[in-house]
Amino acid sequence: MTDTACGMVYVVDDDQDLGAAVARLLRRHGHVAEPFLDPAPLLEVYERAPAHCIVTDVMMGEIDGFDFADRVRLLDPAVAIIFMTAWPTTANAVDSVRRYGGLDYLEKPIDEDRLLAAITEGVAWSKAQRSALARTAGLTPRQRQVFDLLVKGHNNQAIAAALDISPKTVEDHRAAIVAKTGTNGIAQLIALAR
Amino acid sequence: MTTLAKPFVEPRIPSRATAVVPTVADLPWLVGYAIAFLAAHHIAAEWGGRGFYSLLYPAAGFRIALLWRRGPRLTLAIIVAEILVQIGTGVIDPRSAGWLTALIGVIRPPLVYGLIVLLVRTMADRAQTSMSVAPMPLGLASVGAPAAAALTALPWSLLRPDLTGVSGLRETVTSLTGFVVGDLLGVLLLAPPLLWVADLATGGTLRPGRPSMASVAEAVVILVASFAIEILLARIGLGTPHTPVLLAVAWIGLRFGRLASWLAIVVVAAMVLPQTAMPMDMGGRLALHMSLASIMVVGYLAGSFADAQARVRVDLERRDRLLFQAERLKTLRAMSVAVIHEISQPLSTLAIEAKHLHELTVSADVEIATTAALIDRKAAALSTLVRRLRRFGGRTVDVPTPLPLATLIDTVAALARPEAKSHGVTLSIDAVAPDLVILAQEVELAQAIVNLVRNAVQACGNGTVILGVTRTNRGVELVVVNGSRPARPEQPGMGIGILVARAIVEAHGGTLSRVTDTAGNTRATIALPLVGEPE
Repeated sequence: MTDTACGMVYVVDDDQDLGAAVARLLRRHGHVAEPFLDPAPLLEVYERAPAHCIVTDVMMGEIDGFDFADRVRLLDPAVAIIFMTAWPTTANAVDSVRRYGGLDYLEKPIDEDRLLAAITEGVAWSKAQRSALARTAGLTPRQRQVFDLLVKGHNNQAIAAALDISPKTVEDHRAAIVAKTGTNGIAQLIALAR
Repeated sequence: MTTLAKPFVEPRIPSRATAVVPTVADLPWLVGYAIAFLAAHHIAAEWGGRGFYSLLYPAAGFRIALLWRRGPRLTLAIIVAEILVQIGTGVIDPRSAGWLTALIGVIRPPLVYGLIVLLVRTMADRAQTSMSVAPMPLGLASVGAPAAAALTALPWSLLRPDLTGVSGLRETVTSLTGFVVGDLLGVLLLAPPLLWVADLATGGTLRPGRPSMASVAEAVVILVASFAIEILLARIGLGTPHTPVLLAVAWIGLRFGRLASWLAIVVVAAMVLPQTAMPMDMGGRLALHMSLASIMVVGYLAGSFADAQARVRVDLERRDRLLFQAERLKTLRAMSVAVIHEISQPLSTLAIEAKHLHELTVSADVEIATTAALIDRKAAALSTLVRRLRRFGGRTVDVPTPLPLATLIDTVAALARPEAKSHGVTLSIDAVAPDLVILAQEVELAQAIVNLVRNAVQACGNGTVILGVTRTNRGVELVVVNGSRPARPEQPGMGIGILVARAIVEAHGGTLSRVTDTAGNTRATIALPLVGEPE
């Protein structure tokens, strides 16, 4: 396991033993893992210590897994979320991926190999997201608008018309965007926007 | 399993074009009918009269019994048989001028009988009232067919007096009344015992239980009393109204059912018919036979109604028991889902830790390593089992998907093995070719096969149940075979397992057949189409 594949993982489950066991399992595979009994305290500290990946139970006390996923997404759009449940249903499985942006929906008892594969994938995705966000974070609002149109495939003339500015100004913004994000060409810009 | 799927494969309907042609199996019945018809027709001549053949026509009883037993599709064959008999006896003489009239006269009654039986059966299949509960339809057909035969004869008789040999409305009506009475007496006296004997011979019905002495005494007292009242009324000069006997027979029918009412009818007929066989005036004979016919109709319909009611009651009780069982199963399912959930939580922890312990102790002391490996293996097996059980118990119906038979058989084996083991039965499963794929709802079809295996395990005598799969030229056959057990105790189920299995298999476009050989070995076969095979 290389260092780039390992990341920060939170495990949320109201079964203390299971949360601890999963966290220890992840630590053995090189991740930094921390178990939480309840999502509420995690939400309080999350902004100060964001993770790459969160493994959460669906059926919990006051805040259920889906509710928790929505709240944590508001704080951090670049965190991968994996659901696990002892009451699997087809409807929840579909919702977990389509509506709550989950990476996987695991049935208890946990299939260990599948959990580890999902975490590895989640950590990699999260790291890519973070680096892309970091590189576009320095853009001014105007540059952001130009960037959004560029990655949709519009040319300078179209962008100038859409934003009601001159093509020359668009050209200047493009140069600034390329410089700030350290990219080389439109293909790399589009990759950042994903 | 929560609901049964609608069939997603259309069942194949056999061609009906050849349905009216009798099969080889029908031939002995038809030959027997021709002989019985010939004999009965001649015996009936004893009660003959002007304008009608007889006031007691047992041949009609044979006719309706055969139509009811073998189905109205035999109508044409019966007509042919009657024509042949009547040509043989000279009633239809092809050389005479009136052969066509005679021929039509012979064809009409069996044709109308066949149509009435068809009509009653079709209506009974659709209706939801007590009229459609057996034996009520047979009662209706027995009364309706003679009446309909006479009614259809009415216009003919008026237009073509040469048919009956009488003329004028008065004579015609007398002739047809005689015809109805003769047919009714024949049908009601003969058809019930004939059908009952045929049912008994083929095991279609159970031998009735011995009636209680009190019931017999009640019936006898009522019947004797009714006769006594009639004799008394006749003695004091009030004529011979037959109402007391009519009421007595109706009472016996309603109280004790069809068999009792038929026996009462036979007693009444045995007292009346010998008198009317002697020379007596036509009006008196007709009146007696009409009274007898009405006593029979009322008695027989009352008996049929009582039997139908008893049957409905038994059905209701059975349905109640089913309902209780279904309710219990629902609770059981909820409980098992809860148990699975409660187990899966700690089992998750256990499996993770056991695997870790196993990895940690690989190079440790052999004793420790072996123990850790064992715990890990068992925890992993238990996890797989819990996931499988949850899939089986928790999921509702899903869409049919291509499913390798080998996977299906694996699921069945996992579900059925523990039960087989607890009964001391070995479940022997043949290897399944991996290329056999069917279109199936896995959970449902697994349920169907498990039901068959469960039945086989419970009925098994020699300790082995075999589950085999063979490819046929039309698809694939799954066979569940078990040996017999000499003295089989009553089983707790009510045949629901087989019913459910059959419904599921048929929804998959397949068939389920069960054969028990003389040694008592049962062989259940599910035939299913394979994916990608031509129909």
